[in-house]
Amino acid sequence: MNVQEIVAKADLVVDASGLGCPMPVVRAKKGIDTLQSGQIMVLKATDRGSLKDVPAWVQQTRHTLEEVVEGDGEYIFVVRKG
Amino acid sequence: MRTDSVQKVTIETLVEAMQQPGGVFILDVRNREDYDAWKIESHHVTSRNIPYFDFLEEDERLFSDLPQDRPIYTVCAKGGSSEYVAQILSEKGYHVYSVSGGMEAWSQYYHPQIVYEDEKLKLVQFIRLGKGCLTYMLMSEGEAMIVDALRRVDFYEAYAEKEGVTIKHVIDTHIHADHISGGQKLAERVGATYYVSSHDVFEHGGSMRFEPLEKHSTLRVGSVEVDVIVIPTPGHTPGSTSLLIDKRFFLSGDTVFVSGLGRPDLGGRVEEWARDLYRTVSQKLSDLDDAVWVLPAHYAHFTEINEDGIVGAKLGELRRFNELLREMDEDVFTKAVEASASTERPPNFDKIIAINVGKLSVTPEDEIELEIGPNRCAVHHATA
Repeated sequence: MNVQEIVAKADLVVDASGLGCPMPVVRAKKGIDTLQSGQIMVLKATDRGSLKDVPAWVQQTRHTLEEVVEGDGEYIFVVRKG
Repeated sequence: MRTDSVQKVTIETLVEAMQQPGGVFILDVRNREDYDAWKIESHHVTSRNIPYFDFLEEDERLFSDLPQDRPIYTVCAKGGSSEYVAQILSEKGYHVYSVSGGMEAWSQYYHPQIVYEDEKLKLVQFIRLGKGCLTYMLMSEGEAMIVDALRRVDFYEAYAEKEGVTIKHVIDTHIHADHISGGQKLAERVGATYYVSSHDVFEHGGSMRFEPLEKHSTLRVGSVEVDVIVIPTPGHTPGSTSLLIDKRFFLSGDTVFVSGLGRPDLGGRVEEWARDLYRTVSQKLSDLDDAVWVLPAHYAHFTEINEDGIVGAKLGELRRFNELLREMDEDVFTKAVEASASTERPPNFDKIIAINVGKLSVTPEDEIELEIGPNRCAVHHATA
């Protein structure tokens, strides 16, 4: 699945590109709070720290990290709300 | 979010506080994996790890472990998340400081500590607390020699200026694999000579300007009789060299550490180099007096910093505590060193070597990134 397809399927896209730590996770948390259980959030980030922090954050929640796409200095996280 | 009310402090301020009675309480807000791999450790540091994203949920239990009667220093990777958490804590009434630059700044900080000083010479050890690297500056009669300089050469230049000395000699005891050397750059900037063993440079196919260290048996610093005797000590790398200053201070490079010996496994020829290391230990070191101070280029753990704040020990002490410095049967020695050898490489070790022999050049940002994290150059005491 390419990035366009992933984004097209999302219920919400949170763009944290260009933002440093902690903002990608802070924005993701705010975003996912607006969704219903089972809905999909796509988070875009460029901060390298998010590669470890987003999975670590998701792990402590009831949500599920469905996919991580890495490329071109950009990271795409697909999170299903629990 | 009001961030203006958060008090920020530099790494220097944190290190000063670490040396006060009572020490410091550090709240590290990085993810658990990064915290477990590498964190601020020292005597008198109490450290807790609560990832910043845990604070996104309103959970009062998070705060149960945090002290209300002493300052809390928050730390993260670069200083953003620690500020975020400091804000939350500050609003709850905690006395909190966010450490600017986080672990990146910690990795880049060098702490100067005077090893010895009299009217003839002054020897300073620069301790890179975040990584366990040590640089030395020997001063005498307005001249200076710097051994195993790290990449922030402006730091040594400023120190030399403050001391009113001219840097004449810049030496690397070997080609480093775990951190980027500032040796060549420093020598160029101050017009000093840069020395390193040509064995090490050629081993890695290097292409840079240097003076072969093995060509010199003595170097002079100052007009006073301060002899620097070059003692080739293969083992860690085939060209490793140690320096004996004034017959009293043995700068051992990565050959002998306070907690053990150098890793002979970094070049892939463990047995051959273990035997070289044996010859060094049994022949070269056995001539040195028990009263000689051993001052290495690295340390593996903060407990190697002694009560005077330096990393070093008298050779006699090391002989008492490290059987590898006493055990003189070649096969027993080689087996013990081989058994403690590991396949774990320092992070980015190929690239760092290429930079240190002049084959590769990267941006300053990439340099910082390449050498971040703990040091893995020391073999621990074989029984540890």
